[in-house]
Amino acid sequence: MINTVLKFGLAFFLLILIQVLVFNNIQFSGFVNPYVYLLFILLLPLEIPAWFLLFLSFGTGMVMDYFSNSPGMHTAATLLAGFARPYVLRILSPRDGYESGPNPSISAYGFRWFFIYTSVIVLIHHIALFYLEVFRFADFFRTMLRVILSSVFSVAFILLIESYRKRR
Amino acid sequence: MRSLLNILARYHNLIIFIVLEGIAIYLLANGNNYHNSRIMNGLKGVTQSIEGRVNYTHNFLRLLEINKSLSAENTALRNRLERISGRTGSAFQSVSDTLYNQKFMYLSAAVVDNSVNLQKNFLTLDKGKRDGVSTDMAVITSDGVAGVIVACSDNFSVAMSVLNIDFKLSARFKTNGYFGSVSWNGRSPGYAVLSEIPQHVVVNVGDTIETTGYSSIFPEGVVVGTVSDFEKSGGDFYKITLALATDFRRLHFVEIIGNLKKEEIIKLETLTK
Repeated sequence: MINTVLKFGLAFFLLILIQVLVFNNIQFSGFVNPYVYLLFILLLPLEIPAWFLLFLSFGTGMVMDYFSNSPGMHTAATLLAGFARPYVLRILSPRDGYESGPNPSISAYGFRWFFIYTSVIVLIHHIALFYLEVFRFADFFRTMLRVILSSVFSVAFILLIESYRKRR
Repeated sequence: MRSLLNILARYHNLIIFIVLEGIAIYLLANGNNYHNSRIMNGLKGVTQSIEGRVNYTHNFLRLLEINKSLSAENTALRNRLERISGRTGSAFQSVSDTLYNQKFMYLSAAVVDNSVNLQKNFLTLDKGKRDGVSTDMAVITSDGVAGVIVACSDNFSVAMSVLNIDFKLSARFKTNGYFGSVSWNGRSPGYAVLSEIPQHVVVNVGDTIETTGYSSIFPEGVVVGTVSDFEKSGGDFYKITLALATDFRRLHFVEIIGNLKKEEIIKLETLTK
């Protein structure tokens, strides 16, 4: 139990650090802003109660907001992602249920499953985040392009980190 | 009563979600209105020290480039000083009271946080109330305008960058003096839009656009950018695209400008309204 808390605490700390120090500084034409800190929400145990997941998402979003000077934006988006996670997991459940391991990961459920799971959550998060940032429906398609490009990069970086984690 | 408790027990996750999302939206609504960016100041105390340290390292790695730009600015200033001190004053000015005539006060500051990829970009500067900074002061670089201070704490201040869709600035053609309003359309960090220029004015690509000094925030004649493209739209006005003089992607040192006569101007203007 204590071990799990420590493990996820460390993961949280590292992901926030990577996000704030590296990924927030990618200023590539304003269209590509990967947000890899979502991996923390993705990796939490399958057994976690939904209310606890909501509070964790809320806290994660708050921390991100403090660091990126955008009150409420990451909080709202990450909370939505945390709220959606149990439903996404139910829809994506493998044929023989979630028996292979306690955490959603590539090693337990395979690359294909993890890729779809990550893409869905990242897309939900990014749509909320980018539309909240613009906060108007003018330039709808330009914002959509930002959502899609950023999602592609977020998913790619999340899978990269996850497969590196798996190898260790 | 019992059924109410049943509903609460059944939908507790949804209720928690709605309450938390409500808090988040409240924060967002508050923060989105840029006047309330001052709220962030309280929260930023912790992260600013980290950002300061990151920025310090970043600056150290760029020292050569920074030195070059500083020495270039030095030369320009020296030249200007030479020009001013060589001039003999007008016959009526027997006492040289330098403070009496000074209208603007300059203060140099370093940028500790900056972004160009958002729709509402802000700069964080390392000078605050203790250095005499207050809201509505202008921020410029040696190249051109950079933004306006919207909030300040004791040691730091936050400026709204020109690259913010809420930013507006009164600017005019250097050649003929026609003035309009500059804003950013949220597309490219290198370009802004100049509107409200009537179509009978002759516009050329490459015309310099500078500030008007009507707002009592910016001094007169600070460069904003050059005309890079213009077209006659359906209405009475041009659609003019400006290439901004300031490169926001490599902003490091800025000057904060306070208007010493601002209170006097505003007092006079409210009197006549």
